[in-house]
Amino acid sequence: MPRPATAVDVATGLPARAGVLAWLRERWEIVALAVLALAPLVVPALGGALGGQMTTLFIYCILALGLNVMVGYTGLVHLGIAAFFGIGAYLMAILTVPMYPFQIGWLAAAVVSVLLTAGIGLALGAPTLRLRGDYLAIVTLGFGEVVKVTLRNLEQITGGMKGLNPVPPPGAGVKVAGIDLGLAFAIDPRWFYYLSLLALAGVVVAMRRLEHSRLGRAWVAVREDELAASAMGISATRVKLSAFAMSSAVAGLAGCLYAGSLSTTADPNAYDFNRSIMVLCAVILGGLGSIPGTLLGVAILVGFDTVLAPWADSLIQQMNINPLGSSLLSFSGWRLAIFGLALVLVMRYRPEGLVPSRRLAAELREAHP
Amino acid sequence: MTWFDPPRTGALHSAVMNPTARLIAPLFACLLLVTACRPADPGLVKIVSSLPRTGSAKQQTDAIVRGLRMAIEEAEGKVGPFRVEYLDLDDATAAAGQWTSEAEAANARRALQDPDVVAYIGTYNSGAAKVSMPILNLGDLLMVSPANTAVGLTKPGLGEPGEPNVYRPTGRLNYTRVVPADDLQGPLSADWAQERGVKKVYILDDSEVYGKGIADLFDERCREIGIEVLGHDSIDAKAQEFKSLMASVKAAGPDLVYFGGTTQSKGGQLAKDMVSAGITALLMVPDGCREQVFIDSAGAANLEGRCFVTFGGLPPEKLTGKGSEFVERYKKKFGELPEAYAVYGYEAACVALQAIRDAGVKDRRGISDAALAIKDFDGALGRWGFDENGDTTMRTLTVSVVKNGKFEFEEVLDANAVGDEAGLR
Amino acid sequence: MSVQFFLQQCLIGLTNGALIALVALGYTMVYGIIGLINFAHGDLIMLGACLALSIVTALGLAAAGPTATWLGIAMLVVVCGLFCGGLNLAVDRIVYKPLRTAPKLAPLVSAIGVSFIFMNIGLFWIGPADRSFPELLPAANLLPGEGLQFTWKDLLVVLVVVPLMVALSLLVKSTRLGKAMRAVSQDATAAALVGIDVDRVIAATFFIGGFLGGAASVIYGLYINTIGFQMGFQNGLYAFTAAVLGGIGSIPGAVVGGIVIGLVRALSSAYVGERWTGAIVFAILIVILVFRPEGLLGRRTREKV
Repeated sequence: MPRPATAVDVATGLPARAGVLAWLRERWEIVALAVLALAPLVVPALGGALGGQMTTLFIYCILALGLNVMVGYTGLVHLGIAAFFGIGAYLMAILTVPMYPFQIGWLAAAVVSVLLTAGIGLALGAPTLRLRGDYLAIVTLGFGEVVKVTLRNLEQITGGMKGLNPVPPPGAGVKVAGIDLGLAFAIDPRWFYYLSLLALAGVVVAMRRLEHSRLGRAWVAVREDELAASAMGISATRVKLSAFAMSSAVAGLAGCLYAGSLSTTADPNAYDFNRSIMVLCAVILGGLGSIPGTLLGVAILVGFDTVLAPWADSLIQQMNINPLGSSLLSFSGWRLAIFGLALVLVMRYRPEGLVPSRRLAAELREAHP
Repeated sequence: MTWFDPPRTGALHSAVMNPTARLIAPLFACLLLVTACRPADPGLVKIVSSLPRTGSAKQQTDAIVRGLRMAIEEAEGKVGPFRVEYLDLDDATAAAGQWTSEAEAANARRALQDPDVVAYIGTYNSGAAKVSMPILNLGDLLMVSPANTAVGLTKPGLGEPGEPNVYRPTGRLNYTRVVPADDLQGPLSADWAQERGVKKVYILDDSEVYGKGIADLFDERCREIGIEVLGHDSIDAKAQEFKSLMASVKAAGPDLVYFGGTTQSKGGQLAKDMVSAGITALLMVPDGCREQVFIDSAGAANLEGRCFVTFGGLPPEKLTGKGSEFVERYKKKFGELPEAYAVYGYEAACVALQAIRDAGVKDRRGISDAALAIKDFDGALGRWGFDENGDTTMRTLTVSVVKNGKFEFEEVLDANAVGDEAGLR
Repeated sequence: MSVQFFLQQCLIGLTNGALIALVALGYTMVYGIIGLINFAHGDLIMLGACLALSIVTALGLAAAGPTATWLGIAMLVVVCGLFCGGLNLAVDRIVYKPLRTAPKLAPLVSAIGVSFIFMNIGLFWIGPADRSFPELLPAANLLPGEGLQFTWKDLLVVLVVVPLMVALSLLVKSTRLGKAMRAVSQDATAAALVGIDVDRVIAATFFIGGFLGGAASVIYGLYINTIGFQMGFQNGLYAFTAAVLGGIGSIPGAVVGGIVIGLVRALSSAYVGERWTGAIVFAILIVILVFRPEGLLGRRTREKV
């Protein structure tokens, strides 16, 4: 039920103000994107390792937003999102690497592989939709394992553990104003930083529109009560299938960017169950069905592993407090425990996630006034 | 709660969005600031290593890092006019438990970005080298690997089409390795097996770049010289036991089982299940298993007298000259015999230091060129140099056998005879 | 390939399957009662195996005589069972209990967190490399002839797993606690209304599941002979799959699921190739679930309006 505006204001403890501030609150993503877009101009580190790490972070954000469609909006637990991530990456590679005759150019390859990944998602979804809850979860898990083993074993097609490389950068061979775009992408990580930021922005905008569209509302309806939704004339099957396809497509897009930014598909282990679990944790930790929550969850979990942990390790090394190299005194020795403890504590004190979706928050407030 | 979306009034919409802006903006801001930027220090050079320091390969990389540190300590932290600093980077993540492409790529970019870094010791896994080689090549940063053995990284015509040039986008060389590549080890092992009278082999690998690569080379050579290959299968390095597989091996009845893989990819478990299935055949493994942990994890009794390990170069106890001095110092410092790879870590650091000394300037291209120009290096591994591909000219291979729970030197394999015969340079 | 070879593979599959089933019971019991996929169960078993190894090393059991060995094994099963049961109970108290009313996926993430913490403890306990678990049992073949192999180790798995399963089903079927467990798993609120102390029943379930896991960890050490801090993952993956395949929440289902998975693994390794086993196990799982969406022995639940 829509709540009166005053109740919301009391709940957040913040008075509603007109003007710039209100606009800022409503359009947080514009601010965040603007900050991130301007960052490379003021932070030179983004031209180096940090740029690459941030690119990875954006790509995982996209992947998590894709998973959020399934788990957050539609309420279907998906334990194999990494498989679709991998399928996107491998399709991208097959369409662009010199080993294959296609070499159709980056953008075209991205479009084709996103569509194909969505198709594969549909193909998995169609027969398994009558499964519910954890049975569906285990099917997605199983699919993930099947994909990983297949990628590893079909060496003639996927290169086995060697993966497919080199995936050419976008715009390879294209010259704009005397600059070879491909070379620019390969040398300066800021190009990929901007490309993945742009893709992330696109996905965020698309998700926000979807959330409030007819389809998005139908997803939530099916999550809340499938029978009631059917009674209202919503076809649960079609709604779930569309969630499957959308989720896979977005994951496929993330895979394309991933393969592009690393210039290789990496080996199939990069798309295993661990990765699926990590992204699922990010989505739940941030807040199911919440776009800002998902982004925050990824920033924390992936940021911890790719940015914070290496940084803390080298800090400890530089302080030289660990001359014997004991693992008890290194950050990486405790990484797993810190990671696990963080998950446990967040769930203990914010079980609905760090930034719960408005719907879920409203629901919880109704349930526990 | 109805599933109808409430009308989007401004105040309602901002209800939960509001804290978000406050949360996300500073978080990203923090992320951006974690790497502070300093100007380059003209009197300082940095050597970094990128090895899997988390997860199951840690024991091996600990040995390598110890070797590295010893080399730098022995130079008293100075080379030519420069002070030397060392940074130990991890290309594994806690979540993955092994090296990951993005951690390796991030390490490579990080090294490139720091103007003081002039040498990059790594990688441990050949797969990881494929990620960082093209990145480091763009900055001409010298890369010295203590452990990569996949042939395609350096040798034209032996790897996949396009290798190794795909790893050299600038067309210049910056990658070297101090360990002999698998084009020697795989075929030589097959020849050795034939000398021992082996007629039938069963080949297994761990499906990794290294393990599968060397098993394929072994397989090829066996077929060339007329050893019957009864089967060739890949295992899943995450599987817990191989009892069914060993029942199949037993039914095939080989004289020798070859496993292309490492301790980390379940070499020990394989040996154990082989024994408990009642297989009496010999077991042969490559240098990826040449570490004490392999014997410990397999159980010494299961390997006693039947397990043979090939290794590029001489084992620690057979080293002479500088090598044996290194072993003595290592033993004194850490109270144990070094793992086989510790020497390679030491040698890699020595090569990097030598290159910096030879170049005399803090210039990455100059240092890479100086390293590639090393032709007669008197190091812990003996006298050797780099060839035109950045490969070591060292062609000594040895076979050890497991006896009394230790690796015991068995014989030196004649690399030159076999190399010519197999059509290898 | 001969009949003998086929039988040998079936024997291996059955023994492995029994071990998987023992682990799967821990998943299915906890799931049945609070609907939680306890991701930390595999890592709990890893810790149990670490304890078993420490005890074996400390007591020098590897050098003991046959009587002492069998007594030692029985003691290990009990000690590690109590350890894992107690640990599971403590984790439930500290981590899962405050989340009973939380959104359904919150405890799942907590369980993943606990699994990471366990792994880190295991890492400090036994180090990063795989450790060999001493061979306590003679490797002699118990079957006549050369072709078919069934050793003391294989027998031990059966000797421990079967009685434990019988005891468990008796407990669930005919004791007061078992009745309460069944009631809570059907409807916790209604069970509370008729005077069942739901929290105590849940605690008991965690303890029993953990105890079985502890027993499994000892068998694992003696049967597989290698332990490592990452072993919980693969262990848990197959066991959880077995639980779902059999119909999650169903105790006989977990046993059937475990045995099916053990057999499929052995036979696909033998007749298709070791490299495809992972894919075949899960492909078969998907196919079975498509045709029997509630698992092999699961109850068909109707959606309530």
